[in-house]
Amino acid sequence: ISRTMSRRNSNLMQLVYGPAESAVSLEEPNNSESDDSDDEDFFKPKGEMEKKLNHKSCSEHINLEDRSKFLNSQLKDWSNEDFIRSIRDRFVTGDWSKAAQR
Amino acid sequence: MEKASYKRLKGSGQFRQRLVLATLSSTAVVIEDIRADDTSPGLRLHEVSLLRLLEKISDDCTVEINETGTKLRYKPGVVMGGKHLVHDCGLSRSIGYFLEPLIVLGIFGKKPLSIRLKGITNDPKDPSVDVFRMVTLHMLKHFGVPQEGLQFKIESRGAPPLGGGEVVLDLPIVHDSLKATTWVDEGMVKSIRGVTFSTRVSPQMGNRMVYAARGIFNRFIPDVHIFTDHRSGPSGGNSPGYGLSLVAETTTGCLISADSAVCYSHGDNMDAIEDSEEKPDLMPPEDVGVQAASMLLGEIEQGGVVDSTHQGLLFLLCALCPPDVSKVRVGKLTPYGIETLRHIRDFLGVKFVIKPEPITNTVTLKCVGCGMRNLSRKIA
Repeated sequence: ISRTMSRRNSNLMQLVYGPAESAVSLEEPNNSESDDSDDEDFFKPKGEMEKKLNHKSCSEHINLEDRSKFLNSQLKDWSNEDFIRSIRDRFVTGDWSKAAQR
Repeated sequence: MEKASYKRLKGSGQFRQRLVLATLSSTAVVIEDIRADDTSPGLRLHEVSLLRLLEKISDDCTVEINETGTKLRYKPGVVMGGKHLVHDCGLSRSIGYFLEPLIVLGIFGKKPLSIRLKGITNDPKDPSVDVFRMVTLHMLKHFGVPQEGLQFKIESRGAPPLGGGEVVLDLPIVHDSLKATTWVDEGMVKSIRGVTFSTRVSPQMGNRMVYAARGIFNRFIPDVHIFTDHRSGPSGGNSPGYGLSLVAETTTGCLISADSAVCYSHGDNMDAIEDSEEKPDLMPPEDVGVQAASMLLGEIEQGGVVDSTHQGLLFLLCALCPPDVSKVRVGKLTPYGIETLRHIRDFLGVKFVIKPEPITNTVTLKCVGCGMRNLSRKIA
């Protein structure tokens, strides 16, 4: 169990910070691109632009809207008994011994 | 200044955090390609307004924007703070957008900050001023920010699109540095508090929202108090709107919030709405109440010591602590939280140890603070 735990642990770290090597390899294509992007490819076919955008993995979300509020698109129907039971012990009216295990 | 000393960034994402981190770490930044491929490229009004606000509270900072607004050069100065400042936040984003970066910068200022902000107080996009008053300010005390001189007053409210709200924020400074915290016990929800707002609509709207929200909470907990704040006349701003902010308090003092609001969008012609008998329909207040209540229960289900909206601020405060270990627990990491962690690493060199806890479906994060001290206080 401890092994799977450590793997999940590193996965989450990688999700946030990215694997150590790929950060370096991402830099290189950017550099070479800026070298040959002089005036001859000022006009690019649209498809090629898109390909390039896909190539740079981060570029599609560099212009993401800056908002801290996280909007969950689907809200659960909290009058449903199953959902109510699922968070019952998060309230003081629930089972204290179960909550203590958290 | 030679060019090499600028940190180069791209895009408009995480604009506020980049400026906050740049200012606190005294790093000059160049941001390029700001919406370069957009049909209306460049900085937005609220982003320019935020830069003006930074100029207002700090000394010796320079902002250069190119003609199209797609490139920004920002050299931070020293945060001064000061009294009787006034800033018009404009109408493209609400005051909540400006408050988030402002409190982090304000506590590292030379003098306590006292500022009056004008604009939109409640909207669906940003955290409402009520959530800020009830939750965000209380987060600071976990990190040892003095409570004296911490005050927030909502003088008038304003809904989009025309705003007209005014708030006054008094913020103390930290005298040396923050305090590292171990904040992992989320406790159990013991009470739910909230406040509705309604401007330029029937005062009955508030009660209808409260009634609907209570209906949901009655299955869980009896201790529910939701206040109504109806504003009419000048203190009700210039546009009709209503909404609800809710806070769940736990046995360990954690505050979990959710808010929702409805209003007319910027595209609607306000004069036409005022004149005509038939206004376009907004979401009924009962639905707003149920929506806010469901959002709050969703946040409670996730667990963690803060809600998803406050993850970014929590990580930032942890990273700004002295070089001690801070440990916090959150629910599922949000995209905004993850971006914040990346920017903290890039600017402050602080990397968190992130550990999932499968039993509770939460995530604990540990870090050693970067040792940020309030240096501006010592200068001169």
